[in-house]
Amino acid sequence: MEFVNPEGLRLDGRRPMEMRQLRAQIGAVAKADGSAVFEMGNTKVIAAVYGPREVQNRSQQINDQALVRCEYSMANFSTGDRRRKPKGDRRSTEISLVIRQTMEECILTNLMPRSQIDIYVQVLQADGGTRSACINAATLALADAGIPMRDLVTSCSAGFLNSTPLLDLNYVEDSAGGPDVTVGILPKVDKVTLLQMDAKLPIDTFENVMQLAVEGCKAIANYIREVLLENTKQLEYRRGL
Amino acid sequence: MVGLSLGEKHFIQGGIDQNLRSDGRKRDAYRPISIETGVIPQANGSARIRIGATEVIASVKAELGRPNALQPDKGKVAIFVDCSPVAEPMFEGRGGEELSTELSVALQRCLMGGKSGAGAGIDLSSLIVAEGKICWDLYIDGLVISSDGNLLDALGAAIKAALSNTGIPRVQVAAGASGDEQPEVDISDEEFLQFDTSGVPVIVTLTKVGRHYIVDATSEEESQMSSAVSVSISRKGHICGLSKRGSAGLDPSVISDMISVARHISEQLINKLDSEISAAEADEDEM
Amino acid sequence: MLHSKTFNKKTRGGRIQKLVREVYLRDDIYCGALFCKSCEDKSKARLTATASTILILDTNVVLNQIDLLENPAVEDVVLLSVVLQEVKNKNSAVYGRIRNLIDSPARRFVVFSNEFHRDTYVQTMAGESPNDRNDRAIRVAARWYQSHLGEAVKVLLITNDRENKRKATEEGVSAETIESYVKSLGQPALLDLLVQPASEDVIMEEVEDMRPSKRKVVYPEHKPMSEITSGLTKGIYHQGKLRVNRYNPFEAYVGSESIGDEIVIYGRGNMNRAFDGDVVAVELLPQDQWHEEKSLSIVDEEDEEEDVHLVPGSSDDAPRTSIPVSSSTFDTNPVSSRPSGRVVGIIKRNWHSYCGSLEPMPMPAGSGGLAYALFVSKDRRIPKIRIQTRQLDNLLDKRIIVAVDSWDRQSRHPSGHYVRSIGQIGDRDTETELVLIENDIDARPFSAQVLACLPPLPWSVSSKDLNESNRVDLRHLCVFSVDPPGCKDIDDALHCTMLPTGNFEVGVHIADVTNFVHPGTPLDDEATQRGTSVYLVERRIDMLPKPLTEDICSLRADVERLAFSVIWEMTPEAEIISTKYTKSVIKSRAALSYVEAQARMDDSRLVDPVTKDLRNMNALAKIMRQRRIQRGALTLASAEVKFQIDTETHDPLDIGMYQIREANQMVEEFMLAANVSVAEKILKEFPECSLLRRHPTPTKEMLGPLLRTAAAVGLNLDVTSSKALADSLDCAVGDDPYFNKLIRIMATRCMTQAVYFCSGELSPPEFLHYGLAAPLYTHFTSPIRRYADVIVHRLLAASIGIYKLPTIFRDRPQLTSIADNLNYRHRNAQMASRGSVELHTLIYFRNRPTDTEARIVKMRSNGFIVFVPKFGIEGPVYLTMRGDKGGGEWFVDEQQQKIRKMDGSVSYSILQAVKIHLEVLEPKPNRPKLQLTLL
Repeated sequence: MEFVNPEGLRLDGRRPMEMRQLRAQIGAVAKADGSAVFEMGNTKVIAAVYGPREVQNRSQQINDQALVRCEYSMANFSTGDRRRKPKGDRRSTEISLVIRQTMEECILTNLMPRSQIDIYVQVLQADGGTRSACINAATLALADAGIPMRDLVTSCSAGFLNSTPLLDLNYVEDSAGGPDVTVGILPKVDKVTLLQMDAKLPIDTFENVMQLAVEGCKAIANYIREVLLENTKQLEYRRGL
Repeated sequence: MVGLSLGEKHFIQGGIDQNLRSDGRKRDAYRPISIETGVIPQANGSARIRIGATEVIASVKAELGRPNALQPDKGKVAIFVDCSPVAEPMFEGRGGEELSTELSVALQRCLMGGKSGAGAGIDLSSLIVAEGKICWDLYIDGLVISSDGNLLDALGAAIKAALSNTGIPRVQVAAGASGDEQPEVDISDEEFLQFDTSGVPVIVTLTKVGRHYIVDATSEEESQMSSAVSVSISRKGHICGLSKRGSAGLDPSVISDMISVARHISEQLINKLDSEISAAEADEDEM
Repeated sequence: MLHSKTFNKKTRGGRIQKLVREVYLRDDIYCGALFCKSCEDKSKARLTATASTILILDTNVVLNQIDLLENPAVEDVVLLSVVLQEVKNKNSAVYGRIRNLIDSPARRFVVFSNEFHRDTYVQTMAGESPNDRNDRAIRVAARWYQSHLGEAVKVLLITNDRENKRKATEEGVSAETIESYVKSLGQPALLDLLVQPASEDVIMEEVEDMRPSKRKVVYPEHKPMSEITSGLTKGIYHQGKLRVNRYNPFEAYVGSESIGDEIVIYGRGNMNRAFDGDVVAVELLPQDQWHEEKSLSIVDEEDEEEDVHLVPGSSDDAPRTSIPVSSSTFDTNPVSSRPSGRVVGIIKRNWHSYCGSLEPMPMPAGSGGLAYALFVSKDRRIPKIRIQTRQLDNLLDKRIIVAVDSWDRQSRHPSGHYVRSIGQIGDRDTETELVLIENDIDARPFSAQVLACLPPLPWSVSSKDLNESNRVDLRHLCVFSVDPPGCKDIDDALHCTMLPTGNFEVGVHIADVTNFVHPGTPLDDEATQRGTSVYLVERRIDMLPKPLTEDICSLRADVERLAFSVIWEMTPEAEIISTKYTKSVIKSRAALSYVEAQARMDDSRLVDPVTKDLRNMNALAKIMRQRRIQRGALTLASAEVKFQIDTETHDPLDIGMYQIREANQMVEEFMLAANVSVAEKILKEFPECSLLRRHPTPTKEMLGPLLRTAAAVGLNLDVTSSKALADSLDCAVGDDPYFNKLIRIMATRCMTQAVYFCSGELSPPEFLHYGLAAPLYTHFTSPIRRYADVIVHRLLAASIGIYKLPTIFRDRPQLTSIADNLNYRHRNAQMASRGSVELHTLIYFRNRPTDTEARIVKMRSNGFIVFVPKFGIEGPVYLTMRGDKGGGEWFVDEQQQKIRKMDGSVSYSILQAVKIHLEVLEPKPNRPKLQLTLL
């Protein structure tokens, strides 16, 4: 199948190095300590953060740092064909784990010993790149909750189809069976905290694809910073400062 | 979980007694309601409703299926509700299942009538493609995103909005199929089947706190309830379903009183929802 | 700017899914006009400043009028992405051609991605069909162009859709039909290229038959698509590709998966306007109608008849006949066991353009130059095509190309249009070009980009090459090559050294083509496309440019060359002890011809090193060959012929069978061994993506004709395995010295050809090469002339760790498509070689009527087919006059494979030798043919 036409346009009209449209909204869940909706094109996720708060299950309490937990779930209507999946299937357990590990890395957990932070991400629409969207939403929600972090973690994927590296695959491109490299970075300290790839790719091509994904992460970081800044300005305004 | 101090509890109950609730509402007043339709593009119909800080999404997906042998002339509708842990950490893991099931059953009962399909909010025979062979199965999914009480009413309203937003592609059945064979179907992308949702009832839940009952309770108020009665009422004022929650018993006269209050409130609610839905549909068209 | 597009789709499981896709609308899509002032990016711009009219084409125009568009008279064309997409979905061949036009720097065709431009994107309106929406998108884009480019240029929408044209005019867009546009150009010859619209069809029929009332329906109606789909799922209809019998165009086969057998279609009526290669839906006829129609007679309908042709080399090019196994000729109404059917609908057309000539006809009087003529394709599987022309007198003696446009129920013949002419009929160059076109062979000179990839000349091995760590210096070895005389592209050389232990070190050195042809370069792309060099009688069409094939890569004598070597240590019993693979530098001591090599070996006085090595090698080769035959390898025979060509006129001077000497077999033996060794190595390293070659085991049905012939002459062949077959072939010796070879030739033609495949696609038992009795085989030894070998060289280099494996090998579908292309190209190259030999045979016999001996190889009800060993040809000999269909005078005995005169006076039996007369006759002007008559 042709994923990049001879005019250099992808199936949805993007060029290979272009990301889908990003949209973010802070504070979608009133009762959560922090929450955010993050959209990458037609992929839409909502993240809510509860905490830091008392550890609910005492046996899990850690004395020198905060306990970070994460649960990922997909709405029944999030995919094209309706699926009713039991909670906690392998895929969502794996993604929960990936998100938790990635976020734990950037939260200054040592500042909040004997406390618990819960991150819940709910996929409303899945159109490829859900992992990345979840991480980006979680970052925003954590920032909204005012949880101390080393840096913002941002994530983006890139793939390789028709011998062309493509940024931010959508569902159709993702299901083409080509490689899909998901990268998460700490943009300020310039460190990669998440790296996943399925399918195989020669090493030199892989470097290009990964570099592209890193560039995508950086662009998302800039966007997220703008959103947070705008949000802070709004708060300031509402408080009449 | 709502953890309230004794003082807070007294404050809430006292306010209700004096017809001035914590957020300034009267006992029979709703929080602001807003509706958006078509929020889930991959569904055949969808709506998001916000009532105060409560937010739910309902989506309708249609799939081709085989009608039930007992009702060969009717399609099928199934309602599932999912409570996202995003709304409440308590719903984590399997924590939301009990509530989800309770809500699903209540909605099915309130909106879809009896097992035979009689009294359903929408005309189930309009879902038939080929009698006895092919029908549309509607899967209605509700998702609770943010919970601050009155979930059932919110879900009911969201489903009503989602159904009126639903368009199902028109299907042509290939001629020539006979006997027991499953006929071939062809869909058209140009024509859509819309439902008449005027018969879909609304749900009004009256929550009894102390000696009084209130509409549109917040979760703090719900934590103080002794019992609650949910009544589903159609535009014509017919009672379509009824369910009572909470452990405390109710005097039968109170119940009939509650029903008549609910009928009265439902009129306003239906008007409010209808105008919100049509405004939302107009918004969506503009986009 | 973002838009989403939603649509419903039926999935395979019969479920209906709503799909949502985003569409990003852009403002960086440029109009492609060089003179445009507002579009910044001119890198893709082609529309010239002098263009006064810019054409925007509707889909139907691109689909139908591609032959016209390819004519340089049409320029400054804008192709909208909506149009390209529709074309791609409807006809991938036309899409490929239009893409070529867009890519050609000589043409002025640009693409405008209207579907992603913010001003030209249109959303489907309620109740609008996809077709209407696309038409509207085209008009919106046309209007955008007009306002974008201003009044200085005229933007013209070309559409043959009446409704679209009317709406365009209403909306202020100038629109014309293709006919009126072409007329406005003032070049009448262009009008011949136009596809005739259906309305003209009617007029045409009236011309043919002056009484309109007599217009009768010739063919049954095709069923609508929906009915076909449901019929297919219910199992009433069967889907498959229609293949017309190459030797009997009134018989076709549809391989159907649903019934697991071939369905035979007899007659044009049952074929119902289907062409060879079309995907069709077939309905089975009731069993009592499964008759064997004329399968036993030499075709004699209309004026088609069997031609003299080359002896087929394998079952792929052999005539197909369906001789019933069980039916007896005494049956009054023989009923076949093979299902037969009729075509009820065409699922996918395989129409393209065809080469041939017009049927001779008198010039029509007073029709204003416009005439209707019947075109006869060179490919006999194609029915005659009716065309309209204004240059009849000019075309009658030409070879021309014609494309098919339509075939309606009322006309006996499909209608088409003239595309171009190649040259005079009978002219050798014209006929050769015809052979090339027919077999889709690209004989164009290499482009400048391709030539730019070559290393500068004169080339010689540099110190850099010698110092390369992966390259071993083997210049000290006594390497030599053995090839056919006059061979300039020498891709293999050998050496054989006796080791102190008494063992031998034997090396096969293959030209290191991949050192010069790098993946992803234009040179490599071109070679991938060509796939193989093509050998015609008087010329060679190279896969790689000449400097590479004849100089840089060619392992000529006394020059240093780069090679890829396979080196074995062998015991004197030819057991391989170890195998080494390495890139190397060699210096060949001698480039021998087969004859020279043979002469050296036979001349016992010679004791020079090369001759000694030759003898050692020959001894080893004989042992290897013996062992291979014991394993069950078949010694098959071919009836290959060789021409002696006049160097001046290129006309054939003499013709004769190809002689195989011991030296040929020696070289062949080592090449086989090298190929097997390489196959083992690459498969071990890359089990998923190796390119191998397999030869499928022939099925019982395929061997049927051979067994029947053998049985008729009292020979019992055991075909249970290749070993058994090889043994029984060895035992097949009669008193006739030629008998054994004849049987071998017949065995060969029963088998299919070997094919390339990607190892990941099949399971190891299927890798078998039946003919060589080798579990693994590939092609490594001729990279100069076969692309498969180039791929294998890369795989081998990667498997010994000296080069990275190109990314393409990670992509199995693409590798498979390359393998498919190679198989297609090889087959075409073979067909072209055969075509060229047939052509030269005809030229040779033109002035040389000859009497010679022939063998009867097949019985027919009105004669038999003979094989002429001396010239490697095969053709029909009629016992009865044409038109007189057997007349009961002759009688065929199926069991005995004999044809007997009713009165018993004369009889002919299979394999019998007969004397025949060969002569070229011209029964119709410009249609020379070789005729065989019994003496």
